[in-house]
Parts: sequence; C-alpha cells; structure tokens
Amino acid sequence: MKKSGKNIYGQGERAAYDGRYAFIQGALAAVSEQFALDGASYYEYDEKNELLRLRLRRAFGAAFEHEENLRPTPASAAARAVAGMQPCTASSPAGRFFYFPFKLDSFDPSGGRNAVPRTGLVRLERSPRKRRFSAAEAARADAWLRAYFKDYYKAEFFSLARRQEKTISAITELTEVFATALRVRDSFRHILAGIQTYFGFDRVRLYLIDEGNRKLKGELSADIRGQIKSISYEEIPLEQGAHRFADIVLGKSSGAFMERYKDCVLYMPLSVQGVTIGLLIVDNLLSQQRIEPAELAMLKSFGGQIALAVDNSRLFDKVEELSLYDELTKLPLRRYFNQRFQEEFYRAERFKQPLALVWADVDYFKEINDTYGHQIGDVALKEIGRVILSNLRKIDFPCRYGGDEIVILLPQATGAEAARLAQLKITLSIGISTFPQDASGLEAMLERADDALYWVKSHGRGRIALYSDTAAEKQKAAAAGGNTNGKS
Amino acid sequence: MNIWLLSDYDPRKHLAFKSLLSRFSAAFPDTETEFQVKSRKSMWESLFAHLRDPKRNPLADIIEIPQNWTELFSRLGLLFDLSRRVEPLESKRYPGFILKELCRHDEARAFSAPWWIEAPALFYRTQALKGICQDPEKELASWEGFRATLDKLTSGGKRRNFRALSSPGSSGSVSVSDVLPRVWGRRGGLFSDDFNRATFTRDETAGGIEDWLELAVSGRIELFSPDRFENGPRPPEECAFIISSRKLAVRAGLKMLPYPGSAGSGFALVYNLAVSASSNDQDGAASFVSWAMEPQNMAAFTESFGVFPCLKSVFEQRLQEEREVDVYRRIFSAPELMPNIMVYPTAELLLERSLWNLSLKIARKEYTREDLNRELIMAQGEADYLLSLY
Repeated sequence: MKKSGKNIYGQGERAAYDGRYAFIQGALAAVSEQFALDGASYYEYDEKNELLRLRLRRAFGAAFEHEENLRPTPASAAARAVAGMQPCTASSPAGRFFYFPFKLDSFDPSGGRNAVPRTGLVRLERSPRKRRFSAAEAARADAWLRAYFKDYYKAEFFSLARRQEKTISAITELTEVFATALRVRDSFRHILAGIQTYFGFDRVRLYLIDEGNRKLKGELSADIRGQIKSISYEEIPLEQGAHRFADIVLGKSSGAFMERYKDCVLYMPLSVQGVTIGLLIVDNLLSQQRIEPAELAMLKSFGGQIALAVDNSRLFDKVEELSLYDELTKLPLRRYFNQRFQEEFYRAERFKQPLALVWADVDYFKEINDTYGHQIGDVALKEIGRVILSNLRKIDFPCRYGGDEIVILLPQATGAEAARLAQLKITLSIGISTFPQDASGLEAMLERADDALYWVKSHGRGRIALYSDTAAEKQKAAAAGGNTNGKS
Repeated sequence: MNIWLLSDYDPRKHLAFKSLLSRFSAAFPDTETEFQVKSRKSMWESLFAHLRDPKRNPLADIIEIPQNWTELFSRLGLLFDLSRRVEPLESKRYPGFILKELCRHDEARAFSAPWWIEAPALFYRTQALKGICQDPEKELASWEGFRATLDKLTSGGKRRNFRALSSPGSSGSVSVSDVLPRVWGRRGGLFSDDFNRATFTRDETAGGIEDWLELAVSGRIELFSPDRFENGPRPPEECAFIISSRKLAVRAGLKMLPYPGSAGSGFALVYNLAVSASSNDQDGAASFVSWAMEPQNMAAFTESFGVFPCLKSVFEQRLQEEREVDVYRRIFSAPELMPNIMVYPTAELLLERSLWNLSLKIARKEYTREDLNRELIMAQGEADYLLSLY
C-alpha cells in the first residue's frame, strides 16, 4: 500500500487490467502526465439517446468516477469526432480540448459469442490560460492513446476470465449440490444456499404445489446474505387470477407483467416429466440491478436439475415419513422415538434439566376391537393421536410405541408438570417416570414408567400415577405385608 | 486502510479530501491510506457486489454514504457499529434533526457518523432582477413568484451566454435531488407517515415533481446540456438565478434566499462516514472516522467545498460566521431529511429511473402529463411491493 492519498488505480500491471474501468483510469492517469493536462475525461456514447455519458475523470491529480450525461451540439467538435471516429481539437472559454473517439470490442454481457462494440470519447483538457493542442501534439496524443488502447483487450480478457471461472465453478459445484440434495428440510436449504452462493441474487424464493389442496405453498426464502427463512405462512390458491404466482404456474401470466420485470426478476416454474411441482423466484428488486442474461440462461439451464432435486427431496420426505410415522395416528413410530429419546436424555443430563416419560395405555382397547371391530378401534386410535398432537407443547415428543401403547417424552418437565400435561380428557391409564428423580438411564426410565402404568392398571385404570408415588405406595404395602402392584 | 469516497460535481471536494488525508498521514505517519472516488451508482454496485461475492469484491475499510443508506446496509450486515467507537456519536454531538433520522430504529447503535450536510438555496443576481423584481425576498418566497420572475427574465435576457436559471449540481437529466426540495415545499413526500405505502402519485408529490419538470419542458433549465459539455459549468455571473446546495462565493451582486416555496424550513442532504463490517482493521478505520470528526478537521474539510459540518458545535459556529446567517438559520431551523429506512434507497432508484425516462422524453419533445402519471404509478407500485417485502 502506498502512503497518503494516492489513488489506487494504475498501480502496476495486474491492477491495470483488473476490469474495464481500471484500465481506462490507467490511461487517463498516464496521458495526463504525458501531455501535461489539467484534466482527462472518459465518456461512453449512448447511441440510442445520442448522449455522451461521463464515467471517469482525472483532474487536479485525482482520479474519480463521475456521472454526467450530456448531448454534444450537432456539428460541434465532439459530435464530429464521435460521428466520424476522427480525433480533433477544440477551444472554448472552458478550455483547450483534444477529442479522441474510440471503438472498443467488449464481450457480450448476454453471453453471445460475438464482441459488442463500445464507442465513446476521451477528452484531454487544458485550462483556457494554457496552450492549445497543436497539430503535432494532437497527432502524438492520438498515436499515444491508440497504442494504449490496443491493450484494451487484456482488460476485457481479465473480466471474461473472471466470468468464466465463476461459470465453471457454478456448473461443477451446483451440479453436485443438486445431485446430493436429499434430506428434505436440509436439501431445500442446500439448494437455495447453492443458488445464492453462485448467483448472489437479492432474494430466492421456493414455492411448492400442494396438489391435494390446490395451493401454492411457500417453503423457503434466501436473502443476499445467504440467510434462509421459512415462508410457510404464504399460501396461494392455485386458481387463475388469484395471484400472479398462480397465473405463472398455470401458464396464464400476462406478457406485460413479465416484460416489466424481466431484467431483475426470474419466475421459473419447476417441472418434472411435464408436471409442474413448484415455482422458483429469483430477484434483484432491492438493488434494482439487472440480472445478466447469461446468468439467467445458466440458471434456466439448471431448471431441470433443480426441479428434479426438489422432487427427489419431496419423495424422500414421503418415504421417510412412512418409515418414521404411524400412518393411522400420525404419531412417530418407536424407531424414531428411540433416536429422540436418546438425544433428549443426553440433553437433560448435560444441562441438568428434568425429563419426564409418560407411558399410556388405552383402557379397554381390546374390548373395543372385540365388540365393535378393528375399524372402530382404528377410528378410536386416530382420534387419540389427534388429541395428543393437539394438546402437547412444541418440545414434547409422542410416539405410538406399539398396539394401543403410547409413550410421550416431556423435556424440561418434572413429575407434577408431566401429570398435568398428561391430562388429555381421554380415558387412558398413564404411568410417569422422571429423570433424574426416578431413573438415571434410558432403560430404567422406560421400566419405571411401565411399572407405574402397571400399577394404575391394577388399581382400576383411567388414572395417572407417578412412579415415585407408586414406589412409595409399594413400600408402605410391603411394610404392611401386602402386595400392591399386581405383580408377584 | 482503503477509503471509498462519493463522487461530487465539485472537484474541490476531492481536493479537500486529499488535503484531509495528507494531514492525517502527517499526524499518523505509520498508517497507510488509499482512496478511491466512486460515483453514487458505482458505490451502490460495489456494496451489492460485495454482498453477492465478498471474496472477489472486498469493501474498502471506510465508506462515505448518503445518511439514508445506513439503515439498508446495516441491516444487510455491511456496516460496523460505531456508537461506542466514535465519541461524537456516543455523546450524540450532532443536531437533533440529523440524529433523529440516523437512529430512527435503534437509538443505542449507530452504523455511520454524520459528516457533512448541504441544503439547496436560491441565489440571485440583483443586477439581473433590476426592473423585474422589486422585492426579491417577498416575491421569490413562493414558487409561483419565482416562476413569474423567471418568465419575465427569459423574455428580457439579451446578453450572450446569459441564462435565467442554472442548477450546477445537475447530472444532465432531472434527478431526485432536483425534485425533492419542491416536493417537500408542496408538503409532499415519498412515503406515508407510517412508511407502509409509497406516495409518489399523491397530488402534492406529483405536483412538486411536475413543477420542476415544467422548468425543463419550458426550457428554463436545459437537460443534457451541450453547452455544459462544450463550455463547462456556467459561471455565476452569467446566470440570474442559481439553485445550489453549496455556498457560492457571494461576489458583488449575488444574494441568497431560501429555496422558493419552502414553507418554513428547508430540505437537506446528509453524508456520513461508515466502517465496513468486513474490514480487517476496524479499530484503525474507526480511529480515522473519529479523527475526521474532530472539529478542526471537519471544519476545514467542509469549508473547502462550501457545505456545512455535521458536528453540532462546528455547525453552530459556521452558521454564526455566515454572511447570510438569517437565511441559513431559516433553512436549518428544522430541515426535512430523506428517511433512513431500509427501502428508501431502492425507492429513490425507482423514482430516479422514472425521472430519467421523463427527461429523455422532454429532451425529445415527446413529453406529456400522462407520461408522468404512468411513470409515477409504476414506480409507486414497485416501491409498495418492496415495502411489503422488507
């Protein structure tokens, strides 16, 4: 780094070609020194609007970007220079000028193979008190700038190389991202994070079609910082005219709307084998920056892979749901419970928090099945599952442990709290054990809850018993010489 | 330490900053500094480029931003909290109207330090108004009075190179900073009071924009001025009126008034220094900001290009020293600042785009009032949508 306020442009070979404007700044700095100028300006020519658009300037020994849009007087020196691509000199009360028109080949931002010509003007400036540009000096300045601009392709090449590098890494790594996306919640995040890492849009949103309810449901939204949040609160009826997203998915969107936003929003319906499964929306609305056509094209080319990855994730979710959840009661199955029980137990142990285990048994379930048949038994179980799911706290974890036995984990709950939470207004026999009071291990907790349940069943059913209470009762009975737990 | 400075139409700002840096380097010879001047557009693009790809697009350590970009870029995580690092921020040594916008949502933290402030005012040449305007202070207080005087002037301007009105800060097209003082003057605004809706099409807002566009339609101001390209900025002595946010050297015959039609006080723009949250030298950068906020440094820097310092004590002292102290006191009694809310900078871009389209139409002589309606309706719709998202 250099000391004091030295401008950083033009600090050596690499920096000189690091992008189009770095190169031009280098040119303005060098030509200012070479020809003892008071100022030098770089204008790009906007042919459509016939405007010279100032981009860079160097004056008073400082380089700066600046924007000014000016229309040269017809037939003026500057207008003639741009029209005929011929350099010329001019003089006015504002100063002495040399106009150097240029036409440079730039790469096509839309990703085309052909170069796009960029025309403009470099203006060399001296104050009115200083000497004019003589013909000889103008010729030298012209030759000098021509020679300098011959290397312009290096700056273009530098930019192109950066872009290609980004494209290649996007292609290789995004393919990997989409191919490996499987676990549903994580995979959607994974997909959105992948898109954001390589494209960096202001926002990416994913909506999925819920065919059963004819809705377009929000899933996730990722912002420019890569932060991902749920947008599950967004539900759009999948009907024409209900919302523009629905219209897009249904293929009924108006062209005018799409046209207005085409530069900074992309609506990408996700289809697998001809069936639309969702909608991916990327936008640069906050920055109002144009999404480069090449980037849009690349994202579109990934459309099939994204749709497939999203669909795979949904299928995986369904399979996982079938293997982890009981279809009838919608409660988790024992396999899933065992995994969560272990996690919750370790957590309780580590943070020294209570953990309660509720073991419930539907009273007279066998009699219901025998008397009214299994279909009615299933209805009863389904209802019990619904009641349990709608009455628990978010952190509680219920499970259909087998048959009519239901086990519920109640993290951070003592025995008394568990007994209160277990009052579900249905006729169940319930035994409760707690950590650390009743047991210090997983197996022991299950055993104690089962013991308490057994005690309830042998004492008239339809009650809730804490293991600690039943143990105390048993002790009392043992002291009195009786047998109170029904087991002998 | 890298510094990004906002570009200015007045090159004296860059020179003033160079001089400020020289003094900093003399005081702290071990600290190396570099600076780069970015246009507003390129500053915006650079900040978003960093958000999109931080490794390839590193930020400077210190960034100059319009004050009302603070909320957006702090919410996007780009700015470092300076509230405990810059003493004037900690002890809130800025005028209340600046602090109110800076800390709109969070009084405990401040992600940028107010640096300098400018406010548009009307300058007129007494000689040019001779026989046209008997009592400038009274007649030019309202927009209508100003417009009527302009009309008289245009018909009577015989001098070669004479222009009735000049707006030296113009970038060629009509811009948001051109129209907002008039919008405010009509008691319009860009948002509803609760910031839930954009109000570009409200009568007062659209009317304020139309007032300024009318100056261009009627040729009172020249868009994309070829003359400016050929001959440079118009010298003040060739203009009857100048609307400028900078103090002009009040040479013989040039006097100053508040912006016409600004009922009560004026409209002001504030520029701040911020430190990048990704800077490797946040302490050093915060120290530089603190140093720049020292009264003598702030005073010297702002005086060099005709703007006001933001530090309360220096600001008050400068006001007292001004020849036009009464006018400035009126302008700064309770100036309107653009709101420092997350969506504001984007809403301004939307309006800027509309004004650009309208400017091109005016320059081609294709403009109709319907164009203004259409542009404002579309820009407002987009701003409303953004407000619903952020």
